[in-house]
Order: sequence, then C-alpha cells, then structure tokens
Amino acid sequence: MWSRIAYAFRETWASFRRNLTLTAAAVVTSAISLLLVGTTFLIQRGFDNLLVRWKGDVQMIVFVASDAAPDQIAHIQDVIKSQPAVIDITKLKYLDKAASFEEAKVIFTGDPTLLSLLTPETIPTQFKVVPLTGDAALVRSLAEQYRGLPKVEGVSLAEDEFQVISTLSGFVRTVTIVMSVVLLGVAVALIWNTIRTAMFARRREIEVMKLVGATNWFIRVPFMLEGLLQGLIGGVASCGGLWALNRAWQNGVAGFKPGTGISALVVPSSYLNGVMLMLLIIGALAGAIGSGIAASRFLDV
Amino acid sequence: MIRLDNVTKVYGTDSVAVRDVSFDIGKGDFVFLVGPSGSGKSTLLRLMNRQERPERGDVWIAGRNINELGDSRVPYLRRGMGNVFQDYKLLSNKTVFENVAFALEVIGKPRHVIRQQVPAVLELVGLEDKHDRLPDQLSGGEQQRVSIARAFVNRPLIMLADEPTGNLDPATGEGIMQLLDSINRSGTTVVMATHDHRIVNMMRKRVIQLDRGVLVRDQERGVYE
Repeated sequence: MWSRIAYAFRETWASFRRNLTLTAAAVVTSAISLLLVGTTFLIQRGFDNLLVRWKGDVQMIVFVASDAAPDQIAHIQDVIKSQPAVIDITKLKYLDKAASFEEAKVIFTGDPTLLSLLTPETIPTQFKVVPLTGDAALVRSLAEQYRGLPKVEGVSLAEDEFQVISTLSGFVRTVTIVMSVVLLGVAVALIWNTIRTAMFARRREIEVMKLVGATNWFIRVPFMLEGLLQGLIGGVASCGGLWALNRAWQNGVAGFKPGTGISALVVPSSYLNGVMLMLLIIGALAGAIGSGIAASRFLDV
Repeated sequence: MIRLDNVTKVYGTDSVAVRDVSFDIGKGDFVFLVGPSGSGKSTLLRLMNRQERPERGDVWIAGRNINELGDSRVPYLRRGMGNVFQDYKLLSNKTVFENVAFALEVIGKPRHVIRQQVPAVLELVGLEDKHDRLPDQLSGGEQQRVSIARAFVNRPLIMLADEPTGNLDPATGEGIMQLLDSINRSGTTVVMATHDHRIVNMMRKRVIQLDRGVLVRDQERGVYE
C-alpha cells in the first residue's frame, strides 16, 4: 500500500518538473479565474450589504427615534396600517432596537467609527413598509405624511437609492459570473491539456505498465493528483490575491468620509475566509475533473 | 493452458487478420507461431493477452474465457503473463534494474520483494553486472535480455514473445533462444511469433503456421517450411 502511495507522489512530482511551462500556464490561468470567482462573491456580498435593508420588496423605511415611548410607536404603526388599500399590512415589519443594531452591524462593517457611535440603546428603530401600489408619487406623499408624525426621525425611500444599486448589482453580477465561468472553463481545458501532454510523453511507459498488469487506477492516480495539485496551487495563489485585494479595498474605503454608505461594501473577514476556502475546493475539484477526464480518455495511448 | 476456439479477428469492416483459428497449447509447451509478415502472428499474441478481442470465437487462458473477462480483471490476467517484443520496449530514462523493478512496482510489490527478485532474474539473464546501465548503453542482445528479465521477474505462467530475435544478429539471437528455452524448462509456457527460419529449424519445437490469417499447419517438432 505504502509503496503505491509513494509511487503516486514520486510520479506526480516528476511529471510536475517535466512539464514546468505547461504546468505554470495551467496554474496561472486557474489562479486568475478563481480570483475572479472570489471577487464576484465579495462584490455581491458588498452589494447585498448595501441592499440588506431593502430585502423583501421593502420600498420605504420609517425611522423612529430611540427614545420613543411604546404608545408613540404604536401610534405610528396605527397610522401606517390605516391605509390597507395602499400598504401591504401583512408584510409590515417592525425592527426593534436589537434587530436594528444587528442590521447596522452588517451595513457599517467597513465603518467602525460610525458603528462605535451606535449602541442598541441609542439606535433608531424602524418600520419596513411594503406598498401595494406601484405609483411612486403616492408612495412619496405617504412618506411626507409619515415624516410629520411625532418621534419619526426620517423616512427613506427605495427609489432614491435602491434602484441604482440594484441595477448596478445585477449588471456586475452577470458580467463577473460570465467571465469567471469562461475563465474557469479555460483553466479546466488547460489542465486537461497539460495532463494529456504528460500522458502522451509517457505513452511508452503507460503501454508497458498496462502489459505488466498495472490497473487503470494505478496509472491514472498520479495524473489526477497532478491536475488536482495544479488546481489547488492556483486556488492558493487566488486566495493570496483575494486577500491582498480585499485589504487594499478596505484601506481605500477607510479613506471615505463616515456615513457615505460606501462602508457597507466592506465584507466581514469570516465571509472572506469562507470564500477563500471555497476557492481552494473549486480549484482542487476543477483540477481533478480536468485531469480525470484526460487520464481516462487517453489511457489507451 | 491456452486454447483458441474458432477465433476470427477483423480490423475495420473487412480486413480479416485471423480467420477461424483453433488450437490448444498445454502447460509448459514451447510453440512457434510462424508465417510471413501480415499472416496474423502478432494478432494472435494480442488476442492472448487481451490487447484485442475477437469478433468470433473464444480465447481460453488457464481455463478462463478471457473474452468474458471484465476490463477491471484484465490487469490481473496480464500479471500471469510476460511479454517480450522485437523493439524491447524498455524505458530509456530508467536503468536496467529500474526497468525490471518497474514491472513489480506497478503491480504493488513491496520494496523488499523487489530487492530480492530483481537481482535474481538479472543473474538468470546474465546482466547482474550491468544493473546500473541505461538501455542505450547496452547492445541489442543485452536490451532484449533486460526485456526478458522484466517479462519473467514475476514468474509468469505464460510468456508471449513477438519476434524477439528480429533485430538481432544470428549469434545473439541464439543466445536469446537459449534463455527462452531455459525459461520454458522452468515450467513457463512460451509462445513465440517469428519468421526466422534458422531459429525454428534449430529448436525443433511445435510449429503453428499461419497464412493470411488462416492456420495451415500445426506440427510437433516442426521446421519452418
């Protein structure tokens, strides 16, 4: 058993050295494509942070002062609910201080200064309003009406910020996903080609191996291992790139004035770690799949 | 040990390599397959080690119909066979020792077995002093001896040799035949394809003659006609 494992690793290493140029090309391509995949995830997460408060068709947010008494909050709710023909009262949601603070932590990840000023006690609570009407003028007049209510600190409308970000998010998502899928396909094809070349170079050896009774798996494993390692090294390189990119982005965002909203585009480090782990897995899988197909297809050389 | 029942092999749609061939080779036999180039000798050897499958008929090895063998079982069939080729098929980047050890390594034999069996078989073929040479540092006859050592190191029941003396001068060819004869005397069944008249006439073993894929003669202690 050990002799087989040792053989597989020895052959993998030898093949790596033999096809250094092709291997480097495959690794670089997979690293770039994986970096793009990772960047897509980070950008999407940034946009999701920006849009988190507008999830679930919310078109209007009514902010209530943190010192509002329960009967004052109930009054605001009654006013909103008093127009069931215009407002979807089944979807009306009230975020108390704790829930509002949790949401703020996501939105202001990249703005620790602002976040430190907020506490669960001082944060405004909010009503998330889903209108039934598509009439923007009507929604705007409702907002005006709510602004005049006691203890209402302000009213935000989705049409002001949501539409632009949402459109931009959709566009960026489509472009980056298409590009990363294409590049990932190229990386798999390059790994496939590297393995095919390696197998062709060793066709005589493979022929002898088959004639002396080596199993197909015994022959295949070092090649698959080689592809898997190529993908994995590409994955490690892309993780390094993504980490550096995210770091530069964080530093860049820190330069903006607090409260501009840009800070929402910073992702938490736990999310970054998750994405990096995923890139390693995708890299290893892409490498193993590309080389596995090549190793099976060209075993009759 | 080897039995062919009405075997026909066709390449493409109409190129018949072997037509309705039947014979039986017993354990420990030494058999020459003779005939001109393209008569089907090599195809018969390839049918015996399952590099090819016949269109019709059955090939039996050690009591098993190898046409019915699943692809995953073929490597285990081949571990009981040694193959020797006209062009030796040695790996140029490996030494004599490594070429022979390779046959054991790829079937998962442990290192201590390899260290024990390889020197023994190199001694048998008379190359114990050249174990660290590369193939291109050897003569043609020596390279063929390495190839035979590799085929025999696993002590196979059957040895299939395809024109093993084809690239060698007569004297060297005789040395190779003596080696194959001694391997045969140790109990291994040897099937050798050749069109070398001199060797066949010298050895006086069983001769199976093919002509355009058809078996035309099967004679004990035969000569090349």
